[in-house]
Amino acid sequence: MSVIVIGEVDGSAIKPASQQAAALATQLGDPIGLVFGSTNAAGKLATPRVISVQGTEHYDSLQFAAVATQVARKSGATSVVMAATAMGKDLGPRLAAELGWSYIADALEYDSGTWIRPNYAGKVLARLEPNGPFVATLRPNAFPAADDTAGAVEEFSSELPESTTVTLGVESAGSGIIELTEAAIVVSGGRGLESPENYDKLIRPLGAKLDAACGASRAIVDAGWVSHSHQVGQTGKTVTPELYMAVGISGAIQHLGGMSGSKCIVAINKDPDAPIFKVADYGIVHDLFEIIPELMATLDG
Amino acid sequence: MDIAVLIKIVPDSESRLEVRGGKLDESDFKYMVNPYDEFAVEQAVQFKEVAGGKVTLVALFSETSSIDTDLRKMLAIGADEVIVLRQSDYRGDRPAGNATVLAEALKPLQPDLVLCGVQGIDYYQCATGPMVAHQLGIPHIASVTQLELANDKLKAWRQVEGGLQVIETSMPALITCQKDLNKVRFPALKDIMFSKKKPFENRAVPAATGPDLTCAQASLPPARGGGEIIDGKTPAEKVTTLLSKLRTEAKVL
Repeated sequence: MSVIVIGEVDGSAIKPASQQAAALATQLGDPIGLVFGSTNAAGKLATPRVISVQGTEHYDSLQFAAVATQVARKSGATSVVMAATAMGKDLGPRLAAELGWSYIADALEYDSGTWIRPNYAGKVLARLEPNGPFVATLRPNAFPAADDTAGAVEEFSSELPESTTVTLGVESAGSGIIELTEAAIVVSGGRGLESPENYDKLIRPLGAKLDAACGASRAIVDAGWVSHSHQVGQTGKTVTPELYMAVGISGAIQHLGGMSGSKCIVAINKDPDAPIFKVADYGIVHDLFEIIPELMATLDG
Repeated sequence: MDIAVLIKIVPDSESRLEVRGGKLDESDFKYMVNPYDEFAVEQAVQFKEVAGGKVTLVALFSETSSIDTDLRKMLAIGADEVIVLRQSDYRGDRPAGNATVLAEALKPLQPDLVLCGVQGIDYYQCATGPMVAHQLGIPHIASVTQLELANDKLKAWRQVEGGLQVIETSMPALITCQKDLNKVRFPALKDIMFSKKKPFENRAVPAATGPDLTCAQASLPPARGGGEIIDGKTPAEKVTTLLSKLRTEAKVL
């Protein structure tokens, strides 16, 4: 039984989250890779066969879903897996609808036919046991990755389906931005920072030193200090990094829902009763304005 | 321009989540309008204010529970009418089945634009919107943080890793709304009074059919105990101890 792995390109590389999908696919059947955009990168996807689709620089839901449907039907595949990235979360459900298959969103675990996915921002885990064909998206960093390979690449030979949407461009949020949901380390700031200037002065540089993504509590997003793309929690992003550092965040239940799956949590807050300490592996009860500069100086030394 | 907004009714985000016998206990849940769908309503009303037309809210929910007050609030901020599809065994985790029922209700409305939230704060599948768009045979753009109307086309800024993808589409189209899209207005008292006169239809719909998976077992993630509070006389001592623990004990640095 074939399983289609939809790989995503980042520059000239395949995204690590896609290599995680490729590694998992070997447990589901015979993987066939499908990569949009770059032939050079396509070969690196860790599947024995890779189909590369030219002329698809930007994600287009109609076109990508139509191509993936064709490839899945032609190969007799019974499942499709991809990373739950911005593209995967958008393409996954549309493709499932087009194929008429079950949809498993943002999976956290897989073991011999059984999937675990989060409900209520991870506060409840649901076990799913599909017995028919399905499309699954996988939470980035929840599964081990396969190494890059140098496999054979076939070109997608059929004509590209028409689309009624056009990408005019991509506006970058700035260079060197690390994506929250894919980061190994996340440094988040909250109201304890007292001002947006302090977010820029303390959280962003600390993030840069640790090679971390920068997150935020809902309070400071709603106050307009940083954009919503930084928000961690129930109406923001759910993150599961190796290390989550909460700075000046009290830890509302909605915030805890978005980060309590992190491997190691550090909380820095001057209020010893802040709920964040109930989930933190290590806590520092101290004024963050003394701790963060000290932390940055020590990391420099 | 006629706009339909899909509304999901979700458990209040303060709801207690308890699992008994492998099932989530939903008996004490209180329900509210999904916060992401409120951004969709606000956007629809803003478009109506410049382009005219009608804003119809379409919600799918169980037969018995009352959510009239919350939906009336959405009328008070400017939507024109509500259709609540009442289903006997409604569940929020059946995107394919629910999309089919919603799409059937949308077809006779022939909306130029369908708006909904990017996801429900119950199951976070981001799935119903794209699936409805497929059922209607129209394009969708997901996770949109800015939306402009120009010459019968829509220009959408869609949140992607490290930036925004700018997409133009013809209409009809379906857009799923992300949080940065707008600030939802507060209704004035006179609008709240006036909203009670707006059409509010309850309509029985058949059970959902589709390839949706049923949760075989629900569980709570392993509880995190409170960890260790780092001792130290000075900030420097505390920082040194923390870093050494992160390096040698937790091995995350």
